[in-house]
Amino acid sequence: METIEIDAYYLPPDFRNQVKSFRIEVYQGERSMVRLKIPSVSRSLIDTLTDHLKASRRFYLARLPIEHIIDVLDEASRKWLDKSYPLRELALKAIPTITGFSREAVEASIDVEMESSLREDVWRALCSEIKNPLYLDDFQYSSELNGYSRAFGPELIVSIFSGNIPALPHLLFMRSLLVKAACLGKVAGGEPTFAPLYLKTIEEIDPEIAKSLAVLYWKGGEDDVEEAVFNQSDAVILFGGVEACQSLLPKIPRKVRTLIHGHKLGFGMIGRRRLTHQGLEELASAVAEDCSMFDQHACLAPHVYYLEKGGEVTPKEFCQALAKAMDALNIRMPRGKISPGEASVINQLRAQYEFRELGGEEIQLWASPRGTDWTVVYEKDPGTFLPSPLNRFIRLIGVEDIFQILPNLKSIGSYLQNAAVAIGDEREKEFIGRLGELGVARITSPGKMSIPSMMWHHDGISPLTHLLRWCDIEKKERIGGMGEKD
Amino acid sequence: MMRELPEEVLNLDEKIIAFIRRGIDHQDSREFKRLALNVFELQFKYISIYRRYCEKRGINPENITSWEQIPALPTDVFKVMDLSMFPAQTVRTFMTSGTKRPEERGKVHYDEGGLRLMDATIYEAASAFLFPDKIRTTILIIAPSPETAPHMIMAYGMNRLKEYFGGARSRFLIGKERFEVQALVDELHCSEEDGTPVTVCGGSFGFVNFFDYCREKGLKFKLPAGSRSLDAGGFKGRSRGVEREEFLNSCEKFLRIKKDYCVNLLGMTEVSSQFYDNNLKNACKGLDIPKAKVNPPWTRTLTVDPDTLEPLSPGEEGLLRHVDLANRGTILAIQTDDLGRITPEGFEIFGRSKQDITRGCSLTIDEMTQIKQEG
Repeated sequence: METIEIDAYYLPPDFRNQVKSFRIEVYQGERSMVRLKIPSVSRSLIDTLTDHLKASRRFYLARLPIEHIIDVLDEASRKWLDKSYPLRELALKAIPTITGFSREAVEASIDVEMESSLREDVWRALCSEIKNPLYLDDFQYSSELNGYSRAFGPELIVSIFSGNIPALPHLLFMRSLLVKAACLGKVAGGEPTFAPLYLKTIEEIDPEIAKSLAVLYWKGGEDDVEEAVFNQSDAVILFGGVEACQSLLPKIPRKVRTLIHGHKLGFGMIGRRRLTHQGLEELASAVAEDCSMFDQHACLAPHVYYLEKGGEVTPKEFCQALAKAMDALNIRMPRGKISPGEASVINQLRAQYEFRELGGEEIQLWASPRGTDWTVVYEKDPGTFLPSPLNRFIRLIGVEDIFQILPNLKSIGSYLQNAAVAIGDEREKEFIGRLGELGVARITSPGKMSIPSMMWHHDGISPLTHLLRWCDIEKKERIGGMGEKD
Repeated sequence: MMRELPEEVLNLDEKIIAFIRRGIDHQDSREFKRLALNVFELQFKYISIYRRYCEKRGINPENITSWEQIPALPTDVFKVMDLSMFPAQTVRTFMTSGTKRPEERGKVHYDEGGLRLMDATIYEAASAFLFPDKIRTTILIIAPSPETAPHMIMAYGMNRLKEYFGGARSRFLIGKERFEVQALVDELHCSEEDGTPVTVCGGSFGFVNFFDYCREKGLKFKLPAGSRSLDAGGFKGRSRGVEREEFLNSCEKFLRIKKDYCVNLLGMTEVSSQFYDNNLKNACKGLDIPKAKVNPPWTRTLTVDPDTLEPLSPGEEGLLRHVDLANRGTILAIQTDDLGRITPEGFEIFGRSKQDITRGCSLTIDEMTQIKQEG
């Protein structure tokens, strides 16, 4: 059996010797054992570390041209996309053991995240939010203002991660670097290894940048540490459940900008025009992809797919095709290991549906031949939005008309987030408009639910703009030393 | 109403009752198997939806030879389906707790014969495990009476204990509105004075609340020798092991009931019989046997893999599945979502498997309601 030693932290190279006390946590997998090295975190460590990160930022990161930062991020993504990159291989060994996700799923997760973080995407993300990325470097002429503007990022961003998606924390470090902020991330117990590995990559490329970045782990609820870390920050970004976020919010000083990425619910809608024999397999594979990626642990994942009746293919025929696609995908990218409780919930729910089906209700159940690997349920509209128990359990609901679902969605209001929409006729525009009004933050095609672009307004927020503070110059007379408009 | 049950059912009920009345000190596996297959045969015949469920699995009374092959019913199905053998003959309906939404509560219906079977199990199991010393005690019940909570199976069961085993002062202590804690205090003082041993019984959380009250008021009782406690339920949401120790310490400290005399009971709405810890029985009979939940001879328990629901070997941790002859009126084999393992003496229960679900960027209906309530 292979033993993998891995850090559940990242400290700047010139700070590492300040931490002396560590503990080891062991995860036992089927093929390998992971020994996680975790430093002891105290209030005084937080204070000295945050001072250090801010000072490093002041001397280097804050003065870097944005173009250089984008080069570094691009190179980091390319390294991670290279199948022979040693840190990628290490992540692919450690993360499945720690999280239970299959190696194939972790690999897919890394590819998805990194492919959408290359130079072009990053540049476009910046342009989409702040028009001219050079605002981040110096005052730039703005014709709308008829003056000059410059954007300043926070000194220190603190981010509290959730453990549901392995490669997600890197997005926060990218955003921090793009606004030239130092960043301290607190990883989740569920998956503490990817973020430290990603920062090692940044260190390989530009060790001076890495001096402004750190990752630590402490048990949620350590008031002393959490108060210290929030007091030192200018911006806080929280990921996680309602309870976790609610317990943290009171500890954050009011002056600190706070962004919350809480739990969300996704769904899909396929209109009758798109339920055709031609392309049925492709569409089913696309939906299977949405329902299987990260085993539905991502907030982007669908809980329900609605199918409009009256198409060439009936909703039940589509379910049949989807069941086939779910099975095929489970062979290619197996579902991760789940806890006894998660498995029990699926088995209990399956039994409820099976009995209701036997009782003559308009229900049909398709399930993996063995175990709880995947479940497809067809039922008529229950009139409410039923969240999935996750782990590749998807409800498909037959509806008479696409607009029929809007009242169901209303009931989950602020939890709405991601929707896959394929209508294929003139109603699509109005339908999408209504979803937007209800609070949906992202509309995409089936198969693309788990792959948002860097440009996406994450949870309906402009993630970069939200972190920036602007300085505008509105002066009629010429300013000494400032270049003329060109 | 009894007359309306078919002859073959009444005959089977008689045989099961006779088997239960033989008490717990035998292991007649052949008779258990015969009766279990017999119960299955009738449930297959009369409960059409269960018959279709079994047929889908290729199982019928003709092609199985052991009780292990009888398809188990997952507990949550009671939330969506009436699975009683004779719905028209229902005399009593018990409901599961755990949610405020009535439509999400499991409902288990009993016919007259089924209730009689349950009564027999209550008498025999309590005789063996709670009153092995055959002492008559005052039974003080930290639970509502059946009149107050007609759908609560614990209220029904405790009432039977009171009728079968309780002294004259026995009573329920949770009224319509609240826990009548002063009445409990008075009864305990009374017992201290006249030397009549007491059986304090009820939900585990009720005890904890009472201990908190004692702590706050500085109360400590010195109950007469032979006093005992019976707690049912458990401590949902807390780590296993630790809280049991605390509980036993509190029983000793506040009631002066020694841990040998503290008996825990596993009871479920979906399973007619009850599973007692064997510690008091062992203590009274001087047996040196490890503590466990014991299957009375009219029941069996096995563990299954949570993912595949296939049976596991004894000792392996999995989901508990109970087979109970007294479930004649509903379904014999019940698949729970409790985690546990089989031991040489019986079985251990670790708690609800659902407790461990923390993953996923999703939320449950419950979490959503909480938010709405908080507003």
